[in-house]
Amino acid sequence: MFSFLNRYREPLLVGALIIVPLISFLSRGGRGREPNFVDRAVLGLSSPLQSALTGVFGGLSSTVNGYVALRGAHEAANQCRAELAQTQAELNTLTEARAENQRLKEVLSFAEASSGPSIVARVIGLNASPQFQSFRIDRGEAQGVRVGMPVVTPKGVVGQVVRAVAGSADVMVMLDPQSRIGALVQRTRVRGTVVGAGDGQKMLLDFVRREDDITDGDVVVTAGTDGIYPRGLVVGTVKGVSRPTVGLFLVGQVEPAVDLGRVEEVLVLPAVELSAMRGPGLR
Amino acid sequence: MKGVLLTALALVLLSIEAVLVKTFGFEVTRIDVTIAIIVFMAVRSKTIEGSLTAFAIGYLLDVFTGRPSGLYPALAVLVFLLARAAAQLLDGKSRLGYALFAAGATVGHSLVAFLLMWLTSKNADGRVLSLTAVPLQALLTGVTAALLFPLLSKIEPGERVDVGRYA
Repeated sequence: MFSFLNRYREPLLVGALIIVPLISFLSRGGRGREPNFVDRAVLGLSSPLQSALTGVFGGLSSTVNGYVALRGAHEAANQCRAELAQTQAELNTLTEARAENQRLKEVLSFAEASSGPSIVARVIGLNASPQFQSFRIDRGEAQGVRVGMPVVTPKGVVGQVVRAVAGSADVMVMLDPQSRIGALVQRTRVRGTVVGAGDGQKMLLDFVRREDDITDGDVVVTAGTDGIYPRGLVVGTVKGVSRPTVGLFLVGQVEPAVDLGRVEEVLVLPAVELSAMRGPGLR
Repeated sequence: MKGVLLTALALVLLSIEAVLVKTFGFEVTRIDVTIAIIVFMAVRSKTIEGSLTAFAIGYLLDVFTGRPSGLYPALAVLVFLLARAAAQLLDGKSRLGYALFAAGATVGHSLVAFLLMWLTSKNADGRVLSLTAVPLQALLTGVTAALLFPLLSKIEPGERVDVGRYA
């Protein structure tokens, strides 16, 4: 036995490196595991790096924007280039600061309107695999973030926390094919389920009967029936409804209310006592 | 030691990519930096060392998804072995050859990942749409591989590959 293991140790080891994680994946049905100490160590190393890089790239982006503006000024009025560049750079900085200030004000006013303690977080990176639609925020277990908490902006739903470690958390956005949101159409109160389409851009409104009254432009809000999201948060707008000749349900597409590719600050809502929440962005 | 260096490099590149994707708003497609490194090792390093490093890099990618499930470590080792076998037939040591190799491996990696997730996902139809990003992903990965080539060559300049027994 020992000689067999010794003789074939290389193919056995390589085979185990494939089979063991594959069995783990198949047995979980694609669901993630609880973070172990290795996961926490990796996240502990990468999250501060991502936070730092976010600052660096944000600064670079502002510089590039300033440079583009400078070139335009040069073409338009060459004699005023230096003065205009300085003014433009200051303006860019102020505009960026004002935009950030406005976003944070909206988030904070939304947080104040909430009934429970909510957590303001900054997005520090999107995940590196296109098969999973998620991003990382700079608040984690240490700040009270827990798995299953809904994540929103003042404009509407973003997703839910799927993993939290000490200083960061991962949020599955509602565009992910595994995302499910109990929803209703605001105008007609028709119920359905909003599912991520998988293309990273839109969602599908599922389990809505063919004869129900839904048209383009209808606002879809959370129904509060899924145990995750509080009732009345804006999910998106119906864009395209088709009623197949066969089948019980119609096919509707939903455009997210939030630009999920460019969200910078989010609010993590508490997982309990949500039903009484009302405020900006809530309907 | 080289394996540890390459794994650390993968961690840094994944962190940079995560921030770049957020900053520039690539909602769907990504650059498969992990595949670029795994393919490089497949062409140049030994089977055991390369497999262990591929596993570690796949593990990192798994952790970065937010929902680690074991899919990517297994796929990383599988891609490593397949690329190693393909290296017997094709030139993967030149810069251009390596870039094409990485692009091809990205397509294979994405397709197998899609297949396994399609088999286990509730919303199987939704997964099909994620395939539309694969061509751009392969192109970006190939370009990135060509850019990484000098750096990777310094870390792992190895010329000999112990293929033949288990590749």
